Amino acid sequence: MKKTPFLIALLISIAVFEILGIIGSMGVYANEEHDIVKAPVLSKVFTGINNGIYPWEVFDSNERSRQLEASSLKKQKEEELLKRSQGSGDDEDTSSGATPSPTATPQNTPKPQSTPAPTIEPTPESKYPKGKIEPLRESTYDEYINHISADIYGDIGVLRAAEYEFSKVELEYFDDALFIGDSRMVGLRDYTELNEHADFRCETSLTISKVFSSDFRGKGGVEKALKSKDYGKIYIMVGVNELGTGTTEDFIGEYEEVINRLHELEPEAKIFILSIMNIDRERSDSDKVFNNTNILGRNNAIATLADNEVFFYININEAVCDEDGYLRDDLRGDHLHLMGASNSIVEEYLMEHGVL
Amino acid sequence: MISFTDTAFIFRFLPLFLIVYYLVPAKYRQYVLLFGSLVFYAFGEGFFVILLMALIWVNYLFASYSFRSKLHKGDEYVVRHKKMCLIAGVVLNVAVLAFFKGRAVFLNNAYLPLGLSFYIFKMISFQADVYRGKVPRSAGFGEIATYFSLFPQIAQGPIMRYEEGDFGYEKTFSWERLEDGLRCFVSGLAMKVILADRIGILWNDIKMYGYESISTPLAWLGAFAYSFELYFDFWGYSLMASGIMVALGFDFIENFNDPYASKTVSEFYRRWHMTLGSFFRDYVYFPMGGSRCKKSRMCLNLAIVWILTGIWHGNGLNFIIWGAVLGCFIILEKLLYGKKLTKLPVLGNIYVIFLIPLSWVVFAITDLRELPVYFGRLFPFFGTPSVVNRSDIFNYLYDYWWMFLLCIVLCIPKVTGYLKKHAKSPAATAGLIILFWIAVYFGTTRARNPFMYLHF
Repeated sequence: MKKTPFLIALLISIAVFEILGIIGSMGVYANEEHDIVKAPVLSKVFTGINNGIYPWEVFDSNERSRQLEASSLKKQKEEELLKRSQGSGDDEDTSSGATPSPTATPQNTPKPQSTPAPTIEPTPESKYPKGKIEPLRESTYDEYINHISADIYGDIGVLRAAEYEFSKVELEYFDDALFIGDSRMVGLRDYTELNEHADFRCETSLTISKVFSSDFRGKGGVEKALKSKDYGKIYIMVGVNELGTGTTEDFIGEYEEVINRLHELEPEAKIFILSIMNIDRERSDSDKVFNNTNILGRNNAIATLADNEVFFYININEAVCDEDGYLRDDLRGDHLHLMGASNSIVEEYLMEHGVL
Repeated sequence: MISFTDTAFIFRFLPLFLIVYYLVPAKYRQYVLLFGSLVFYAFGEGFFVILLMALIWVNYLFASYSFRSKLHKGDEYVVRHKKMCLIAGVVLNVAVLAFFKGRAVFLNNAYLPLGLSFYIFKMISFQADVYRGKVPRSAGFGEIATYFSLFPQIAQGPIMRYEEGDFGYEKTFSWERLEDGLRCFVSGLAMKVILADRIGILWNDIKMYGYESISTPLAWLGAFAYSFELYFDFWGYSLMASGIMVALGFDFIENFNDPYASKTVSEFYRRWHMTLGSFFRDYVYFPMGGSRCKKSRMCLNLAIVWILTGIWHGNGLNFIIWGAVLGCFIILEKLLYGKKLTKLPVLGNIYVIFLIPLSWVVFAITDLRELPVYFGRLFPFFGTPSVVNRSDIFNYLYDYWWMFLLCIVLCIPKVTGYLKKHAKSPAATAGLIILFWIAVYFGTTRARNPFMYLHF
């Protein structure tokens, strides 16, 4: 056995991680999904590390109870969704509502429920209600387990946001602007003149949940940026990377928290919610998660957060998509991103959508 | 097909298979290996396992007819009979490969059975070796079927020769062999998951905003990144496959030997994917006359070999261009400057280090409209597009400098030689354990990249 130190060390380390995985399964890893046929229990230790739960926390009773609580909440949510879906059963209303456009629904997934047309209570100043817009229905269990972002709001938020009369502005307008976003925003930073005027906190793979925790490759987080300068405008564009995770309610919940925190940290700033940019036909029509139907569900949700006073919604898809709502082939780099030179179209569109 | 990097393979299939393999008496191990290999293949490729089994059967029949020829009449008859078996066997194998490759070109890549190019080449080499008398007459169906279907090699090689497998000899268990095999396997796993998959992200990222948008330095960085990705992906796979073979009692098959230390393209391809290179050398180039003929004939032979190499590698026109370009350089080296380059100290290395990544760009970009765009960025002699981010390389270097450093270091023969020499030191053992768990971490938490040679 002295001749096989590697084998022995390997077996011992496997045993140690397996034991950690088993102990953790009853506590800190209760939330980790795991298929026993495909992977050993020890894989939970690694998915745990990826989610910020380190092996030594397996023995931390506080962390254990936190994770158990999260796990029971998750189960509760799933049960509620399931119960609701079973309860509503045959009552599915497919007669009317905000029809997602493009209508391309990925094959082999249950068709998302259409959202009934909202009943609009006009106000004297606006055709649309002021204040918080409530969803017209809730996401179903089927939508949740099939990673479908349900269109639970319809287009009322988008229509209300579009009522605002934006002004045309010059590039100097962006001198006190902060742009926060994912790889699509990186394109805007790297290939337009906005970089010479505004500050950017953007990185590939950014999600809404990481807006405040990311260090943006050593550049410093959003909070630090907001403390270092008084910004008059904050632009945010995230959402494509987290498609397929959680429900539309989960997404808008996190999004609302983020923009409220931005408002809290920079009360004088106007906050611009940029729509999640659609993707091209080839990818959208073949991908069960990354498709424009799911993007529409999420865009319609975040658009409801715009009050046209502090929060504004800018639908950049108007500038870069074809009549079917797909990212234009002549503008795209890969299936999800604009070609470098095409970012100037978004830049111009933002210059047409200033708030003075 | 379960990938070697999947936790299902590492923690389920492989240990279970090794336990069963070594628990059964040695004389039955070959059958366990055959059965396990077919199950492994069927798991991912479904009904194509029937094609594999049919081809095994037909190739066995041709071989057994060839073996039987000695029982008949005189020597002339024997030679003619064996030649007929060889021709029929080769034609059939080539026809099957051409049929499926053609289907993949005109219909869909999904119709190309996994590993077809690799196991068909094994079958062709087997038929030739039967003809040349390199396969013992005692080779039975069990041995032949096991050789063709070996699960560590079925998807991506290495293209082992029948005689290298010592089939017919019982594979005895040894802790040391198991240890050596697993060390190899883990080294390959780390190369694939920690190096190739990570640096491959750079190549994917530069496609993001279109090739028109990248600066010239980034275009070069991308070409190097893709070269490293391909090298460590395929070398990693080869180490994993050969490591499993060693653990099963076979000899180690070398497929890479520090190719980037070469001084000519010809030398590079003697050190890169060595089993494929030696296949073309022994079964195509030499039978056509090799270099022992007129120079014009030698050039033709080389051109044929490299066009075939291009066709073997993929379905697009870019692969043929890739093969043709390499063939041209190899012919030029043979005729003009090859010997001079090998004698000069650094020039040859620079030549290979810049030329090979350029050839991989042709290999990587299957869209022929994009190819000139990329080369336009590599060599901006005809102007630069209006919107190029000139500082983009710094963003990528910030993220990837340490990966490039590691990749470059692992391309230096003195480093790999040192690592091989001290592979069993306590530090190397500890390092390998750490690398294993880092690879498992990446394999568990990151999106997996399939092996790059998987659908060739």
